[in-house]
Amino acid sequence: MKLSKIFIKPSLYFLMLLMVLSFGFRAEAADKENCLMCHKYRQLGRIDEQGRKKNYNVNENIYANTVHRNVPCRDCHTYITRLPHDPVTEEVSCANECHIKPPFAKENFSHRKIINIYNKSVHAIKENDSPDLKLAKPYCKYCHLNPIYTRVSEKRISYEKTLARCFNCHEKKGVTQAYKHVTHRLAHKTSRSPQEIVQLCSKNCHEDVEKMKKFNVSKESVEAVETYNESIHGKAVALGSQQTADCISCHATSAIHDIYKKDNQKATINPANRAKICRQCHRKVNERFIQIDVHSSINNKKPILFFMNLGLRGALYSTIFGLMFLALIETIGRKRDGIKWQIKGGTTWRGKSKREPKN
Amino acid sequence: MPGEPKRLDHPKIVLLIAFVFIIITLAVLGAVLYHLTFSHHGPAILVPFQKKMEEKKRSAILEDVKRQEEYEKHRHFHNVVEYPTLPGKELTVCFICHSDYPHSKNKKVRALLNMHTQFFVCETCHIQEKKGYEIVYKWYNPLEKEPKGPFFGTSYDPETGNLVPVKDQFSRIAPYFKSGDTLLSAIQHQESDLAQDYMRVRDQLTPVQRENVKKKFHVSTKPKGHECKVCHSKKGLLDFRKLGFAENRIVDLEQLNIAGMITKYEKFYIPNLFK
Repeated sequence: MKLSKIFIKPSLYFLMLLMVLSFGFRAEAADKENCLMCHKYRQLGRIDEQGRKKNYNVNENIYANTVHRNVPCRDCHTYITRLPHDPVTEEVSCANECHIKPPFAKENFSHRKIINIYNKSVHAIKENDSPDLKLAKPYCKYCHLNPIYTRVSEKRISYEKTLARCFNCHEKKGVTQAYKHVTHRLAHKTSRSPQEIVQLCSKNCHEDVEKMKKFNVSKESVEAVETYNESIHGKAVALGSQQTADCISCHATSAIHDIYKKDNQKATINPANRAKICRQCHRKVNERFIQIDVHSSINNKKPILFFMNLGLRGALYSTIFGLMFLALIETIGRKRDGIKWQIKGGTTWRGKSKREPKN
Repeated sequence: MPGEPKRLDHPKIVLLIAFVFIIITLAVLGAVLYHLTFSHHGPAILVPFQKKMEEKKRSAILEDVKRQEEYEKHRHFHNVVEYPTLPGKELTVCFICHSDYPHSKNKKVRALLNMHTQFFVCETCHIQEKKGYEIVYKWYNPLEKEPKGPFFGTSYDPETGNLVPVKDQFSRIAPYFKSGDTLLSAIQHQESDLAQDYMRVRDQLTPVQRENVKKKFHVSTKPKGHECKVCHSKKGLLDFRKLGFAENRIVDLEQLNIAGMITKYEKFYIPNLFK
C-alpha cells in the first residue's frame, strides 16, 4: 500500500489546485452551445492514426480562470458548424475577431495587432523560409498556453482584502474578473517568471545548437543560451532571482513580440537603442556601459577575459587544494614522528615526537 | 611545552564548534569539487564523460514520445491537466495491451467511448453474462476496500453548475456477479495468476502464440459494448440512484441529448444550430 500512497499524494495536491481554481465561476458565458457537455470529461480523447495521444478535455474550472474565460468556443473554433462535429483538421487562427468588446473600444477584440508586430519580427514565418525553418519558428501556440490568471504580489495588501472592499459597491463576479485581468499583467513585462521565459526560449529551440546552426544565424546567436547561462544575468536567474534580466527583458519592448536581429534599427539590442534597454534596471548607463559583452563566450580570442577567468579559477583551486595539501603533509609528518591522531578525550593529537629533546 | 601535562578537559562546546567547522570544510570541499567537475560555472572536466554515459542510455523512441507530448500540450492549448494515475499493477488486466484510450474503430464515437473510461472499468460494458449469476454494479477502487465517495460526476456544484471536484480520483463503476448474498468481482485483475504468468513469458512467445493467449483473456468479455441507451434511459442498466448520483444529475444522464445525437448521426445533425 506504500506505493499507492505515493500516488494518492499527487491526487490531493491536484484536488487542492482544483479547489483554488474552482473559487469562481463556471464557463457558462463562453459555452453557449454547451460544448462542455462532452469536453468537460478528462478521458475524452483518442489515439490518432499516427499513434499520437490526443486529449480533447477542457477543464471547466480551469478554463473559467483563464484569460479566455468569456470567449465563446466557436469564436476561435470557427470551423465547427454542426453537432456532433467531424474530426477537426483545421487550426485555430488567433487573428480571429471574437465577440468580446473590450472596455473603451469600438471594435470587437482580436489578437491582430500583436500578430502584426510578430509578423515583422525575426520569428515571423516568411514565404521564402525553408520548410525546416518554417517548422522551427514559433507560432502563437508554440509559446502560449491558455494563460491562467496569476495573482499580484500580496506584500502590501492581501488579494482578499482588496477585493472585499470592491464588493461593497460592485458585483462579485465582474469585479473579481476585472481585478484579475489587470493585476495578472502587473508583474514584469510578462506574467511569466524569468525562469519560465529562459526555459521557453531555450528548450527544444535556442539551446539546440545543431538546429540553430542550420538557420543562417550568427555564431553569437548559436551560443546564446550557453553564454547567457554563463553570464551574471543567467546565473542569478538560475539561482531563482525574480529581478534579473531574462531573454525578453533585453530583446523586446513591452510589445514582447518585437524581437529583431541586432543590426535591425528597430532591435532593442541595436547599439542605438541599447542604453534605453539597460536603463530598465541599471541607473548609470553610459557609452562604455552599453559596450559590455552580455553574451560573452570566454575563449582565447578574448585574451583579457580568458586570462582573468583562468587566474581567478587558479586562485580558487590553488587556495583550497593548497591548504588541503599542507594539512595532508603536516599529518603525514606528525604520524612519522609517532604522534597519533584521535578524537577521543578532548584532544586530537597524542604521543611525543621522536624529534623532541628528552628531558 | 614539552613535558607539560596535555590538556584533556576541553569544554563540550569546543567539540560542537569543531564539528561545525568540519561540516563547513567538507561542504566547501564538496562545492569546489562540483565546481571543478560538473557545474557549468567551472571547467566541467567530467561533463564529457557524463554526456557519453547519457548518450549510451538515449532512446530515440522515448525522446520522440516526450517531444510529441510537449507539442500536444501546446496544440491542445487549453491547459492539459496531469491527473494522478494508478500504479500499473493496480490496473485491470486490459491495460497490459490496451491504453486508456482503447476505442479507435468507430470514428463517430471513439472519443466519447473513451470518455467513459473515467467512470467505468472495461468490464462494465464488455462483460459476458454468466449463467446462474445476476450482474450488479458497484463503485470499485483498487486502493480502497469499500470506497465511500463522493465520486466524480455524481453531483453538480449548485453555485457554479460544474461537476463537483472530488478527492477520490480512482473509483470506477464495476460489475460484480451475484449469487445469493455473495458478490464476486467480475474484474480480471493484473494480479491474477494468468496475468502474472503472461507478463513473465510474453517476450518468449511467438506472435501466433501470443494471440492465442490473448484470446484467453477475452473469454469472459464481449467485443461490442452496450449501446448508449442501455444506460442513458429511464430504468437503464445502471441504477444511478443506488450508485449515489444526485437527482438533477440523474435527469441529465437519463435524458442525455448526446445519446440521441449519436444514434441519429447518419442522417441527423443540426446545421442551423449555430446560425
